[in-house]
Amino acid sequence: MEPIIQCKNLTHYYGKRLIYKDLNFSVPQGRILGLLGKNGTGKTTTINILSGYLQPQAGECKIFGEDITKMSPIMRKEIGLLIEGHVQYQFMNLQEIERFYAAFYLGKWKKEAYYALLEKLKVAPKQRISRMSCGQRSQVALGLILAQDPSLLILDDFSLGLDPGYRRLFVDYLREYATAENKTVFLTSHIIQDMERLVDDCILMDYGKILLQMPVDELLQTIRRYTMHIPEQQGIPQIAHHSLYHPNVLGNTLEFFSFLSLKEVQQELTKQNYYFTHLKAEKVGLEDAFIGLTGKY
Amino acid sequence: MIQALFYKEWIKTRWFLLVALLTIIGVTGYCILRVYRAGELNGMDHLWLVMLTRGVTFVELLQYLPLAIGGLLALVQFVPEMQKSCLKLTLHLPHSALATTYSMLLWGTLFLTLCFCISSGLLYGYLHTVFTTELWQQSLFTTFPWFLAGYMAYFLTSAICLEPTWKRRIGYCMMSLVLLHLFFLNHTAQAYNPLLPFLILLTLLTATFPWLSVLRFKAGCQD
Repeated sequence: MEPIIQCKNLTHYYGKRLIYKDLNFSVPQGRILGLLGKNGTGKTTTINILSGYLQPQAGECKIFGEDITKMSPIMRKEIGLLIEGHVQYQFMNLQEIERFYAAFYLGKWKKEAYYALLEKLKVAPKQRISRMSCGQRSQVALGLILAQDPSLLILDDFSLGLDPGYRRLFVDYLREYATAENKTVFLTSHIIQDMERLVDDCILMDYGKILLQMPVDELLQTIRRYTMHIPEQQGIPQIAHHSLYHPNVLGNTLEFFSFLSLKEVQQELTKQNYYFTHLKAEKVGLEDAFIGLTGKY
Repeated sequence: MIQALFYKEWIKTRWFLLVALLTIIGVTGYCILRVYRAGELNGMDHLWLVMLTRGVTFVELLQYLPLAIGGLLALVQFVPEMQKSCLKLTLHLPHSALATTYSMLLWGTLFLTLCFCISSGLLYGYLHTVFTTELWQQSLFTTFPWFLAGYMAYFLTSAICLEPTWKRRIGYCMMSLVLLHLFFLNHTAQAYNPLLPFLILLTLLTATFPWLSVLRFKAGCQD
């Protein structure tokens, strides 16, 4: 089946600063994909390109098989967009904003979905959006997307400004909706724990490139944090870079992340006559895996 | 969909519309009152003479009001759109971006037309009862370039608000000052009559500028 999102050879610069070059990825239907990366790796740039608000310098992106630079209104009907910071029209109240959007999605608009979510907020229908907290606004934005009932949801940093309660509410609601309705979701967040609860697949971005794209389960099953004791001033072992991520020596402990098995790491180190004791492999969560693969700096 | 877009513009601008309408009615009313009082004190014959010999129009107070209303209306409409890039929401609606932009501009243009028609209507309603055709036309035609300046201020301020980069915003501001200055070069009554077709064309041309800003916004232009 044709993927819902397909980007080929995306290249973008801001001035002379390269954001990424020849970026390729695709998102199959019915999957929730999280784009993870440190600040400045191009997450928002990618979201802007996908939502048609940035012209990449090279490459092409297709959504539902249609070139996004020529996105038709019919195609936009099928894309729910959440802007960073849960931006909505501040000058409207809850009732007005629902009435406004409903006119654009006649025959498809699910008013009940919006009001069902708002009921949890215990706010009056005439409450102005500008007088709501960021958490409440996030529910308004989500409610409007649910009412729109799009096939694809693009969410830019959905956890920005939300306290843990609202984050959990947002994640649980979204997860349940996307799974039940077989929706495709493409999202970014700077809070990785939320992603772990929510996403099926992840793309890890490093400066200028994609580090990996794989299902989160597979990533967490295969990535390991290795620690071992080494003599002082022994330095870092020279294992091929792609097998060993961000080795870090603290005192006499060496730590790194790798997709190699314990046995393979042992063999590699022994082959190099690298002295170590207390070699330990640990499974890690998504946040540790992210830091392990992209580095702390 | 246009109705829904008008609904959004109504929510944004309703208080401003009320204030602008009351202001233009108030100032036009004051101009009429001045004619009435001057007529009562000096006699209508004297007013006719003054208008013919000195080119007095009694509507000078209206000179910069359309300009101010046009500029402020654009700010009221488009500053909220640019706050936190709200315009992305508007342009993401399942409606052509061009039609969406010009529906919003149409709202403003219709309101300005309403204001200017009310003002002209009030002036005509009174002046044609006390002056000859040539004299009331002298007053009304003198206001036309000012009203055109109101439309142009509206389009140019909209373009400035919608423009995503500060560099070009500053450029647009400077260009706006020059273009709008054209409407206020000569204060003689009906001085602009021969130039009206040119000024109308120029105003229509500036109506395309907001769309250029929207295109640049959509292309992700940044400083």
